[in-house]
Amino acid sequence: MAEIPSRRALFFGMLQVALSSFGGGLSAWSQRIVVEQRRWMTNEEFISGLTVARLFPGPNQINMAVYIGARFHGLAGALLALAGMLLLPFSLLLLLGLGYFYLHMTVAVDRVLAGVVAAAAGMALSMGFKILDDYWRDAVALGFALAVFLALTVFHLRLIPVVLVAGPLAMAWYWPRGAAVGEP
Amino acid sequence: MSSICHPIPLSDLGNLVAVIGDFLSLSLFSLGGGNTLLAEYHHLSVDKYCWLSNSQFADLYALAEAAPGPSSMIVGLLGMGAAWREGPSWALLSGVAAELAILLPSTLVMVLAALSWHRFQHSPWRIAFERGMGPITLGILFAVGLKILKTSDRGPLAYGVSVLVCVLMLRTKISPLWFMAVAGVLGGLGWINR
Repeated sequence: MAEIPSRRALFFGMLQVALSSFGGGLSAWSQRIVVEQRRWMTNEEFISGLTVARLFPGPNQINMAVYIGARFHGLAGALLALAGMLLLPFSLLLLLGLGYFYLHMTVAVDRVLAGVVAAAAGMALSMGFKILDDYWRDAVALGFALAVFLALTVFHLRLIPVVLVAGPLAMAWYWPRGAAVGEP
Repeated sequence: MSSICHPIPLSDLGNLVAVIGDFLSLSLFSLGGGNTLLAEYHHLSVDKYCWLSNSQFADLYALAEAAPGPSSMIVGLLGMGAAWREGPSWALLSGVAAELAILLPSTLVMVLAALSWHRFQHSPWRIAFERGMGPITLGILFAVGLKILKTSDRGPLAYGVSVLVCVLMLRTKISPLWFMAVAGVLGGLGWINR
């Protein structure tokens, strides 16, 4: 645990994280810069922040930036960290978007995209399988997952009502009982 | 999808407020890191408001995955698509507005969480939420994967590429950018059609 970063440092630190991760690996870069280079947090503090960031709604890496900023400078710090992390990649994405909307009718561009899109769909398909192992031994968890999957795909229900119904049911089922309370 | 679907003009203030409201309310339902909302984004931009065609939506998803930074920034691209008919400056403004709307509620909650984590860290609510939302996220992610697959692919070769990439994503640590590059070349050669 070292000195508290200034607001300015928060912004530029997150800017550095965003820049470093342009080839990928946002999560690893964030840890490297915040913990090892700038020493704003210990590794344990960083990991527990990541737990909070994953638990709450919102994109994990964006939540992590918010967590880091809020810890040192409250709401203002959170917004500065967020701005630092998103400024460059979001501006670049909007530029790519402009290029896309001007060019996507071009035959050559459309043909290339037809291939790229098939690969991207494979990435989307892998998301569920990636966490399937965590629930493989829990029949009730698989039951909840299947019910949610069917509600969304076969019955075409919208996400918000499905989560509002299935969420409390699952929370009630997994409510910690007895000695489970107080575990780390 | 209904046969008549007219895109609404976002320069009309009432429409803009409705759209921003949609993104604001989805924000707190982005469980498990944001990708759980992709099928809802498709519903809004293709079925409900008809800003985009199926293949345009698939293109923007791929673009957001390929570009540096969090892929959840796709909302900015959807916002651009929503106002593209009204010119590029409106599109940029709309893109920024959509991204701010999807991030604002979850950011505020995250600030509260960061500041009071020590108080509810061991609360039974926290434990039940974490354990309960996991399986729900699992179900949503499979539904999202299927939706993106159906939106993106036409023909057996495209599906083959998707399944192969899915397996490689799970079995190897190769950067997905390579898969997109190779598949892009195959597409450019005219092997993958849609």
